[in-house]
Amino acid sequence: MKYLALVPEALVAASAVILLVAGRFGWIPAYARRHVPTATAAVVLIALVVELWAGATLGTYFGGGLIQDRFALFAKAAVLLAATIAFAVADWTAEDSLSIALAMPLLAALGVMVAASAGDLVGLWAGLELAATAGVVLVALRRPDLGLRLLLTGAVASGLLLTGLAFVYAWSGTIELAAMRQVLFGGTATLALAIPVFLLLTGLAIRASVAPFHLAGIPASLGASPLGAGLVLGLVAAAAATVAIKLLAALTPIPDAFSSYLQVIAAVAMVGGGAAALAVRAPRTRIAYLAVGQIGWVAAGLVTHYRAGIAGSLFLLGAFTVAATCGPAVMGRAEGGAMSWAGMGVLRPGRAAGVALAVLSLAGAPPLAGFFGEFAVAAALAQSGHFALLALGLLGSVLSLAAAAATLRLIYVHSPLEEARRGAALPVLTRVSSAGAVAFCVVIALYGLFSSPILGLADQGAEALGLR
Amino acid sequence: MWLGIVGLAVPTPTPAAVPGANIFSSPLLLSVIVWVPVIMAIAIATMPNPRGRFDMLMKQIAFFTNVGLVFVLWIAYNQFESFLSTPQFAESQPWLAAIGASYHLGVDGPGMTMLLLSGLIGIVSVLASVGIRERVRSYFCLLLLVQASINGAIVARDMFVLILFWSAAAIPIALLILGWGGPRRNAATWRLVGYWGLGTGALVVATLALYAATGGTSFDMDVLLKVGSVSPRVQVIVGLLVILAAATRLPLFPFHGWARDLYAEAPIGVTVVVAGTATRLGAYLLLRALVAAEPAAAQLLAPLLAALAALTVGYAALAALRMADIRHSAAYLAMIPGGITVLGLAALSPLSIAGAVFSLFTGGLAAALIVGVCATLAERAQSRSLLVLGGLAPRMPILTWLLIIGGLAVLGVPLLATFPAELMTFFGSFKTQPIGAFAVAAGLAVAAVALAMLLRRVLFGVPNPDAPGVSDASLGESWYLGLLAGALLWVGVFPAGPKLPGTDAPIFDPGLMKTMSAGISELAAPYDLPTPTPASGQ
Repeated sequence: MKYLALVPEALVAASAVILLVAGRFGWIPAYARRHVPTATAAVVLIALVVELWAGATLGTYFGGGLIQDRFALFAKAAVLLAATIAFAVADWTAEDSLSIALAMPLLAALGVMVAASAGDLVGLWAGLELAATAGVVLVALRRPDLGLRLLLTGAVASGLLLTGLAFVYAWSGTIELAAMRQVLFGGTATLALAIPVFLLLTGLAIRASVAPFHLAGIPASLGASPLGAGLVLGLVAAAAATVAIKLLAALTPIPDAFSSYLQVIAAVAMVGGGAAALAVRAPRTRIAYLAVGQIGWVAAGLVTHYRAGIAGSLFLLGAFTVAATCGPAVMGRAEGGAMSWAGMGVLRPGRAAGVALAVLSLAGAPPLAGFFGEFAVAAALAQSGHFALLALGLLGSVLSLAAAAATLRLIYVHSPLEEARRGAALPVLTRVSSAGAVAFCVVIALYGLFSSPILGLADQGAEALGLR
Repeated sequence: MWLGIVGLAVPTPTPAAVPGANIFSSPLLLSVIVWVPVIMAIAIATMPNPRGRFDMLMKQIAFFTNVGLVFVLWIAYNQFESFLSTPQFAESQPWLAAIGASYHLGVDGPGMTMLLLSGLIGIVSVLASVGIRERVRSYFCLLLLVQASINGAIVARDMFVLILFWSAAAIPIALLILGWGGPRRNAATWRLVGYWGLGTGALVVATLALYAATGGTSFDMDVLLKVGSVSPRVQVIVGLLVILAAATRLPLFPFHGWARDLYAEAPIGVTVVVAGTATRLGAYLLLRALVAAEPAAAQLLAPLLAALAALTVGYAALAALRMADIRHSAAYLAMIPGGITVLGLAALSPLSIAGAVFSLFTGGLAAALIVGVCATLAERAQSRSLLVLGGLAPRMPILTWLLIIGGLAVLGVPLLATFPAELMTFFGSFKTQPIGAFAVAAGLAVAAVALAMLLRRVLFGVPNPDAPGVSDASLGESWYLGLLAGALLWVGVFPAGPKLPGTDAPIFDPGLMKTMSAGISELAAPYDLPTPTPASGQ
């Protein structure tokens, strides 16, 4: 029974491998192809249920390499939920390869799960790289040029991360996060530690496509298939944010080593994301920049380097993961130009509601999930006296809300294009995708409605990282 | 008679028996008022409507939802204990324990007054929207959400809940203008989003500053807005931010940039709800978060508030004088009641604060009536230009009367509800803010000139032979405008409610003035004039 908590990881990993092998050798018969996504979504849903049931039991595995605590439970549940809905709602006519489009998000989800329960630096790095590599594969499937760009940028990020991790290890003398935290309690922030932390945070910012390090991630997400975009914008960014939370929780005894630099990253991401979202017109591009703005809020919560702030960040990360992963998937193949979603509220009301809620949640509009998360972070910023960062965050949110309102106008106020009326560029309409769109709307709405227990769990997650 | 009313600002020390009290009570009364419109909006959003077959049913659902809310509100109004100064119908549930936010609702006298206004304006806005033909489902769904968010902001006793509803109101309003507005709807919407977004940002920062200053444990108003809970320096910072938030919402000069376009471009039902209740939330916030909670800041910033009030009234009056578009004129005239309310709050005397609270209600009615009647008149006359409109009185008798009542209500003439409100405000203000009160009075005189010119030109001038054909208000339009005018007259004639002859027992209506007074003594307690004490030895 001890290893029951690892069943979700096993289910996800096995599903990914089976799908890849079956796809490579043509084992999926034509008549069964339409049921494979539903079956995969069902498997991930089972993994989610097992996680919520068995994951509540605390445990340590592989000599401390993996730790099942409340933080891991929260992050894993969020990523499994996002993957389930993304598979259910995806427009499979817009994907290039069924097996790869299913397997890569599964591997990315596995990467986040590994990072979330990692007890040492190796686990964090492995989880992040697994998620990022899955993103490169799915992007390269449609746009090899963008895949290569993402790979090269990722290599730079990986190099920075590895260098930073190596120096942190050299400074603290251990790769275990809990032990590192104990060592750092007696230390002071020196330049020798600040430089590797700087490298680490830069590498993570590139992985999360946080402005101004979004030069590869955003174009890649725009060129990829809908699920590929969701993977890069949502799951890879979630993996980077998960690693950042765990690392910075270990570094909290010496906040001076990272606080100033993280403030700059958070401020640029929040304001830059909001401004860019307002400047662009295409809905998918707008979702991408709104996601950048919200990941900036997650970073802002980490600036506070205490429990309430990191709990707020974790809560927001859950909302972000669901909205950013599923948002592009809900859009389906009508993701092209600025007017592609004009009047979709009439033609595809379920999907239109999903896109509207995703955009509003990423912009932090009340009373959706994003608002509660951003407010929790804002409260923590106020408690810790970071009023300048708070003001910049609010500016970013106002810009994001204006961008979200413009998208809503496009969806609900504009008349549909003639080609959309003829059904030429409409997302596919199936029973499962309709149910997925409704499920997505319900989750985004209920995440806000049930913010009390969810924030309570996030708070326990922050406590599990040793924060008081 | 009116001086007698002034005395009612002080709460009655003993409870008066109200027929009908305690017939019905619910611990979730305020939640019902907030969430029923949301539930009905979801019902409208999800009900099948093949080829618009059930458009009329959707309108009926929206209408009867509002009628039901007013029924519930009337019960609450009758059961309201006007001798208590504490919040009533309170509901409190822990919500986000990690940050100290709770689902805490409650109303005191001013809150009950605002709820009554919201209920009445809700019915009026639906009646004014009966003519909507396009995307009926979306329109009424959004209209109900606006109603819910306004009600939520009124009854919130936790700053987190207040911010939630305060900010939530902007989204459906913006979408309503974008979807159903006039030719300049884009500009109107972006200005609204910009100004209201700025105001919401200021409110959030103010709240978080209070939260940080009080130890970061709770967002409850009983903690954050407790008198003396923060230092005078923090009070001033918070006060400035609250003034900014209120000024963008009310609106006050120079943060009024959204008002003209919105009142001119929004559909009539939306114009009415924005002018009637959504904007009054600005003054309501000033009352709660500045006047009642931060006395040191309020006293320091009172001249600034009085100056803003005077500038608003003066600017609005002059602008109304110069406009060549009847809806633009109405937009500026609708800003005047807000200026008067702020003057009452700036004066910081118990009487002026009572006048300000009363003018929240009466000013909302007057502003809604003037913008509603001018928009309807422009529609019926097929022109908004004052160069085209002329001599309409013989051809539009109903709208003529309603426009006259609306204009006089803005000015505050006797027999209309705005009169006692302005009387109390000015009586309470001339002693503590004489310059501001004088400037506002001078602005009102200019507004009277602007109104007289408007009435002369539109109603009694020479008819324009080239003007398009005109028709008088329809039955539906007469109803919704008549409701506003009727409420102004009813409260103007019976501000303390009708009484059985020879007794103090109220009939049917316990009296708005009495209900409103509950809680005002507590809100105004920091500004009570010292009572002279008898000399020792006497």
